Amino acid sequence: MKKILVLSLLAVFGVYLAEVLFKIDFGHQFFLNGVKDFYLTASPDKLKVANVVTSIVVNFRGFDTLGEVTVLFLATTAMSSILYKGRHKLGERAVLFSSSRIVMTGSKLLFPAIILLGVYVFVHGHLTPGGGFQGGVIIATGFLLMLLSYQDYQVSHVVLSVVESLAGITFASIGLIGLLNGGTFLHNFLHTGVLNNLLSGGVIPIIYIAVGFKVGAELTGLIYTALNEKD
Amino acid sequence: MVGSPVLFIAIPLLAAFLIPLLGFVWKESVRILPGLVLLYLLYLSLTLMEQVVHTGTIVEVIAGWAPPWGINLVFSPLTGLLTTLMILMGFIIWIYSYRFKNIDFQEAVKYFILLLMLITGSVGIVLTGDIFNQFVFIEITSISAYALTAFYKGRDSAEASFKYLMIGSLSSMFLLLAIALIYSQLGTLNMADIAAKAHLMKPEFKILALIFFITGLGIEAEIFPLNGWAPDAYAQAPGPIGAAFSGIVVKAGVYAMIRVMFTLFDVAGTHQFLIVIGIITLIIAEMSAVRQEHLKRMLAYSSIGQMGLVIVAFGIGTEEGVFAALFLMLNHAIIKSLLFLSGSYLVYHSTGKYISEVDGIARNLPITSFLFALGSIAIVGMPPFAGFWSKWSMLTAAAHSNLILIIGLVLSVSLIELVYYFRVLNRIYFFPKKKEVVVKKPTINALLAMGLLGLLILIIGFYPDSVTGYLHAASQSLLDKGKYIHDVLSTGQLLLP
Repeated sequence: MKKILVLSLLAVFGVYLAEVLFKIDFGHQFFLNGVKDFYLTASPDKLKVANVVTSIVVNFRGFDTLGEVTVLFLATTAMSSILYKGRHKLGERAVLFSSSRIVMTGSKLLFPAIILLGVYVFVHGHLTPGGGFQGGVIIATGFLLMLLSYQDYQVSHVVLSVVESLAGITFASIGLIGLLNGGTFLHNFLHTGVLNNLLSGGVIPIIYIAVGFKVGAELTGLIYTALNEKD
Repeated sequence: MVGSPVLFIAIPLLAAFLIPLLGFVWKESVRILPGLVLLYLLYLSLTLMEQVVHTGTIVEVIAGWAPPWGINLVFSPLTGLLTTLMILMGFIIWIYSYRFKNIDFQEAVKYFILLLMLITGSVGIVLTGDIFNQFVFIEITSISAYALTAFYKGRDSAEASFKYLMIGSLSSMFLLLAIALIYSQLGTLNMADIAAKAHLMKPEFKILALIFFITGLGIEAEIFPLNGWAPDAYAQAPGPIGAAFSGIVVKAGVYAMIRVMFTLFDVAGTHQFLIVIGIITLIIAEMSAVRQEHLKRMLAYSSIGQMGLVIVAFGIGTEEGVFAALFLMLNHAIIKSLLFLSGSYLVYHSTGKYISEVDGIARNLPITSFLFALGSIAIVGMPPFAGFWSKWSMLTAAAHSNLILIIGLVLSVSLIELVYYFRVLNRIYFFPKKKEVVVKKPTINALLAMGLLGLLILIIGFYPDSVTGYLHAASQSLLDKGKYIHDVLSTGQLLLP
């Protein structure tokens, strides 16, 4: 009886929800006076950034990105805080079987290529699709491949946490330098250069490179902590 | 210009990233740095608060883009008051946990990073003027809160933390849906801009967004029936974190909810709705508090009840009502933190944290017991302590709005509170001590922190005028929606090329 009541209440709410959400005609110009047009013109004209998504993520709403980077940092801190006790000894990982020689050799060959792709994606974040978060994730997948194929592959926790901290400090310091230089936090205080050049967009590429390092180090750390956790 | 509001976010973030590095150089710095940061921010918030009350709201623009396009922070009398309160509580909790439980170095690094971020996230929720930015800060606060709940790594604390994580994720999902709905209709994320354009939204979208907001933020603000996570999380988290939840995190949740209801959309009937859910929360929480056998769970239910009272006071809707609500929030932060901090020493070594284990403990822990008693008497609302003035202002606000029912309710709830707090006090002072209970003497910094809170209770109790000026300015700034919109959007005109 209770279940039927709950289900019928949910059904009523669901119908109302669907009723309202279907009224949004996605894909059409359904709002005209929003902020979007300003972003589309200001990004190439004022910031000289070809990828509008990047200029929104790193500059217009850069404060949110600083927050999101912190969220990721906290997630790794939280995870290593909770799983702090109970690490396996070195070489005793939770992977159950050792990989074949083909997998091992193959991943050794692929690893540098994956890292290179990751670096490419975050260095060109302001020109092409992608950016710091995407590049960082690609780098972390490279380390995941190595950790899965080699039983004794080690990543230094000290190096990871130094990279992570330095990248975070870079982001926050660029913001503070902007505050001292231009009067507002995260102000773009460098010359914006020429549209579509690698060195354009002022501080935007620098921040995105820092984000790339940070995301790569954090996700690698997360995978490594999870793999070394005792059951 | 002493400093700008963005430093409230930027400096703690910088410090949090710096802590792991400093740990390699000098281990003690991990514990000291958060305190220095909080002390500086306390100074900054007090000076800015003084400035804001006299010269008006500061709107801080980020990355040089004017409000509807960029993100902005608003330091108004209201947000400034809450920021100051949160940073003050954070600093006192830092003093208390400086040598907390002798945790080793690696754990201390995590603990202090998470504590600092818990405070910063809550301050961010209050300061920001952008609805999506607020969501990001809610995420920062919640993730730190989940991790700190599970800090002891026991079975029960893991369960409490997992429960909190599940409910909290649901809350984030609802908030994101609400934000997406608003953006799909108005094309803006700035709170002042949304408030100015809210009449352009179709009513069904407005109501649905409001439902999502209330559900999402109600989880953070511990409103019945969305508060199932709260008693477990309070009971399982370390003592200072329980104090931080009730003194800092809940306040941020209530602020966010009030901001949505008072400024973003003022749909007819929200005030009555606030009164109704506030009363339900209040009654159910206080009835549950009476039945608790565990000290920390009792404090947790009492905390939920007080939040219900705050919501009712906001629901009255007049300037007096808002004043009473803010006064209640201020007093609750100080008093409930004192109760959590001293209460966790009363049941320090016990695993079950039962109320029956505090029998006759006053002989071994005279100062802690005295401070617990002071907190209990103050929260019930006995004159001359701080809690009296907030309940008094609530009663006068209700009387001037002819809400006789609320007066009766507040008085009878105070009676229930009297019953369950004095039940504990009776055991502390007049029961014979149990032999098997091992007593832990509080450390010097814990005594200092609790003493500071006790002093604040006495100061507000004997000189309520020391805070009422700020509270009046804050309640005016919450109710004056037009001024908020004007303050934020006019900064845009100054900046545009």
